Amino acid sequence: MFTQFFGNFLLNQNLVANWQLSEALELQKDTKLKLGVLAINAGFMTADQVNTVHSAQQRMDKRFGDIAVEMRFVTHDQIETLLNTQKTGHLLLGQALVDKGYMTNGQFEKALNDYKKLYSINDKDFSDVQNGKIEQVIKTFYHFNNFKYAKVFTEYVSLMFKNIIRFIGDDFSPLEPVTTNEFEAGWIATQTIKGKYNIFTAIDGNEEAFIEFSSRFAGEKFTDIDEYSQASVAEFLNLHNGLFTVNISNEQQAELELAPQTVQNNKIIKTSSEMFCMPICFPFGTINILLSNDIPQIV
Amino acid sequence: MEVSKMKILLCDDSILVRKKMKQHINSLGCFNVFEAVNGIEAVNMYKENNPDLVFMDIVMPEKTGVDALKDILAYNKKAKVVMASSVGTQNHLKVAIETGAYDFLQKPIDFDSVTKIVTKVAKEGN
Repeated sequence: MFTQFFGNFLLNQNLVANWQLSEALELQKDTKLKLGVLAINAGFMTADQVNTVHSAQQRMDKRFGDIAVEMRFVTHDQIETLLNTQKTGHLLLGQALVDKGYMTNGQFEKALNDYKKLYSINDKDFSDVQNGKIEQVIKTFYHFNNFKYAKVFTEYVSLMFKNIIRFIGDDFSPLEPVTTNEFEAGWIATQTIKGKYNIFTAIDGNEEAFIEFSSRFAGEKFTDIDEYSQASVAEFLNLHNGLFTVNISNEQQAELELAPQTVQNNKIIKTSSEMFCMPICFPFGTINILLSNDIPQIV
Repeated sequence: MEVSKMKILLCDDSILVRKKMKQHINSLGCFNVFEAVNGIEAVNMYKENNPDLVFMDIVMPEKTGVDALKDILAYNKKAKVVMASSVGTQNHLKVAIETGAYDFLQKPIDFDSVTKIVTKVAKEGN
């Protein structure tokens, strides 16, 4: 899941633009990982060495690995290790950006190292979705730190990302969150969680993003917003909130109840305390996750 | 009883969930499927049609699935009602079973479990 935040990191560092990231998220599905990117990721080769091998490849008909070994940049064993490396998302994203010419190998190497350093995460964390460190990344990223519901919201969002990956797809990147008292919604599915914690939850998007999100969850192609596509987004939210309440119930012996979901269009959501709006960029558009400990007025 | 002779009532406020469930039950050879969108409709449709099996969502507007379950059991204490919910907390499970639910399904609904329940109820109907 670190992959998704790596995309955001690239945006924040001004290494790529929003549209370039969207394009790369789309492209990564068909991207094949090159040995050079894997070698940089593993720390076996520097970007300069990879570039040297790439130039050499233009002059001779040899495989990347063979040249790299001949030039003594890597050993045979290291090449073997790389060939057995799992395809991990952040590498595919990096590869797609490099292939498109939006980033150089050098920029990719630096960004990856900076990112790992920032969150003190290693390669294993990157490929391990269950890793507890993701909660730390989320808590920091969303600035929940001083908030009353910081722990609950962190759990909520961690689970949300797992469920999005499980039911919608992993080709997304979270964008900078905003806090607000008033949110102008496009198409919005809402549900309230009641009990020990009272939480307003919602998923919002414009027509295009809402349709595609609903299509992915339902596993069928919707072309407009009808009762099926509305039910699909509402059901995703209900499913996620259900799993969340189960977790809270198991951890804290706190029973939480869910109110029925609603889907509305062109509404203003007003809260008296701050509401977190967490945009997520997909190739098909942006989806906003809303979270508040205040039950809002919807007008 | 043959699966094809069974009458099944689906109660869920999500049209998408009803559609997916109906498609699956049809694929098992059962076409006598009724749909209710809330607890009140579910109780009324149960009384009208006397289905062999009911799949009931818990979180619904108007009347919750648990309240509808109580009404259905008051009408027919042998009713077979399977509660389905995304909220699978211990308490929900406990309330559903104590109230007299036949079984409990956690959403997202696993269609293999639906098949097993339908087959089992069909056998019991013999």
